[in-house]
Amino acid sequence: MSSSGNDPRQPSSAKPYKPQPIHPDNLPIDYSGFIAIIFGVAGVMFRYKLGSWLALIFCAQSLANMKNIETDLKQISTGFMFAIMGMVTNYLSPARGGVKT
Amino acid sequence: MANPLSFFSPRGDTLLYLIALLSISSILLHNLSISASADSHFEGFDADEDLEDILQSPLSDLPRRSPPPPTTLSTSSDPESHHGPPHPQSDPDLDLPPKPSATTSSFDYWDEDEFEGFPTEIAPPESTDEAVELAATPAEPESAKVSEPISLAKRIRAYAIEITCVSFLIMFTINYFTGKKENETLALAWAAKFATRDTIFDKNFSLLGVSETDDSPLLLKEGQNVFKFYASGRRFCQGLVATMELKSRQDLIAKLYNMIVPCKDEITFEVYMNDDAMDHVVFALAKKKAAKAMQKEVRDLQRFSSLMTSAPNGRKWVADELTVITESKEVAGDLITETVLDQVFGEKAFEKFGKWFISMHFSDQQQSTHRKVLIFKFALPDVNHMADMTRLVALVPYYIDLIGRYKLSSQARSKTEAARSKVAQEVYKELQNARQEALQRKKAERRKMMEEAESKLNAEAVRKKEAKERARQLKKAMPKIKMSRGA
Repeated sequence: MSSSGNDPRQPSSAKPYKPQPIHPDNLPIDYSGFIAIIFGVAGVMFRYKLGSWLALIFCAQSLANMKNIETDLKQISTGFMFAIMGMVTNYLSPARGGVKT
Repeated sequence: MANPLSFFSPRGDTLLYLIALLSISSILLHNLSISASADSHFEGFDADEDLEDILQSPLSDLPRRSPPPPTTLSTSSDPESHHGPPHPQSDPDLDLPPKPSATTSSFDYWDEDEFEGFPTEIAPPESTDEAVELAATPAEPESAKVSEPISLAKRIRAYAIEITCVSFLIMFTINYFTGKKENETLALAWAAKFATRDTIFDKNFSLLGVSETDDSPLLLKEGQNVFKFYASGRRFCQGLVATMELKSRQDLIAKLYNMIVPCKDEITFEVYMNDDAMDHVVFALAKKKAAKAMQKEVRDLQRFSSLMTSAPNGRKWVADELTVITESKEVAGDLITETVLDQVFGEKAFEKFGKWFISMHFSDQQQSTHRKVLIFKFALPDVNHMADMTRLVALVPYYIDLIGRYKLSSQARSKTEAARSKVAQEVYKELQNARQEALQRKKAERRKMMEEAESKLNAEAVRKKEAKERARQLKKAMPKIKMSRGA
């Protein structure tokens, strides 16, 4: 199946690898990071415990799927901050006085 | 031996994971400790009360203090006393027995009139003790029941959300590491089969891998499920990029989703042809549904080509499940050669090897960066069956050579030339229109800016004049203050 006889290789024409630059607008949308931020905001604003936990889970998913550490980390850290804020508000705030059942 | 895998992505993700886990566990522990200490405070309060009862009776000023000797009663009545007076009849009787010990030291507080019926009440307290004990024992299991379930089932229910979420996160973390390892093994298995020494790509390309040196890693890891392989140094083409897009095994949510909506591990070969190596070829081959979608969506296929319904001239043709999309039938006939049909695309061969084939697309009018491209898309078999796709991978160098050497006949060329020139003209017109619009916009903007500047200048000038006039008027209005210089 491969070309027989002469060697198809041409070392002279070998070019080094250039990663194709992707325009930041064309990047695929990070849905899980977006959902993490939404749940995080909901958890903080409405004092909804499940919201903060879900935000943390989606943050973890976004981290797992992260492709480019520089560009994606900002959104992930935003979601993570919201999730932690939600946790602190829901669990450690003195106004509630302990665990709400 | 070249180090196959290049760890392009840093270890920061594991660090963040650890930080997240630590913070979550600390919050949870803190939470549990708060509630636990609250309970112990509660119990300690009871114990303290009992101790006080026994030792320091002067402080028994509180009306509803229960007696220490029947300790069963204390545990039952104390919570009850906190809620309200449960047994109004028995309580005064219960209050009396500690009083003898109290009276000796604190008869200041107690009226001796209270102890009028005392001797008689030694017996009744015993009977009332029994009665209270009987009353207490049904109450006691209730309270016992009340105190214990709080610690087990109700507590679990109270923490249901936290328990489920933390356990999900733990499973997610475990799955991340196992999934990542699985993906890496799969990519390495492919590379070992097709990209290391004496394999098909090594025989066809002089430069394999990403960097210059011999020991360079072959694969580039772009994400936990995306791997790239680069090869260069062959006739007719500038290079080849193979992108492996594996299932997101490292992401538990995606993994669960893929159990419902099936997904495949894919590998896409993009071969960048030299400008002089490719003639006017717009051709695609895919399974029926995919072919229809491709013809509608991919721009150059949409513009130049159409679905080919019948085999030309009763030749042997591709299997029934496949559809050819081509600009000219002649080209299609030339590209689907006997060898290819026998090896991969014919009826018999396709039954065996066809399940790993997804699509094939050759174009010299590709809309993205490079114009002349050959794109092959295959599905990846699992780790132990990599050899199943050998014939498909062999298609890649075969077609590079075939298209590199292929020249259209004059008829076909004239047709394709006509189509292309039309499209080129349209594109040119669009460009022209776009340029004109841009120029007009710029002119309008400039005009606006000029007008604004002028109006600003005018406004400022007017303002300045007004300010000056006001200043003059003020000066005139104010009395002149004569200043004299001191010596």
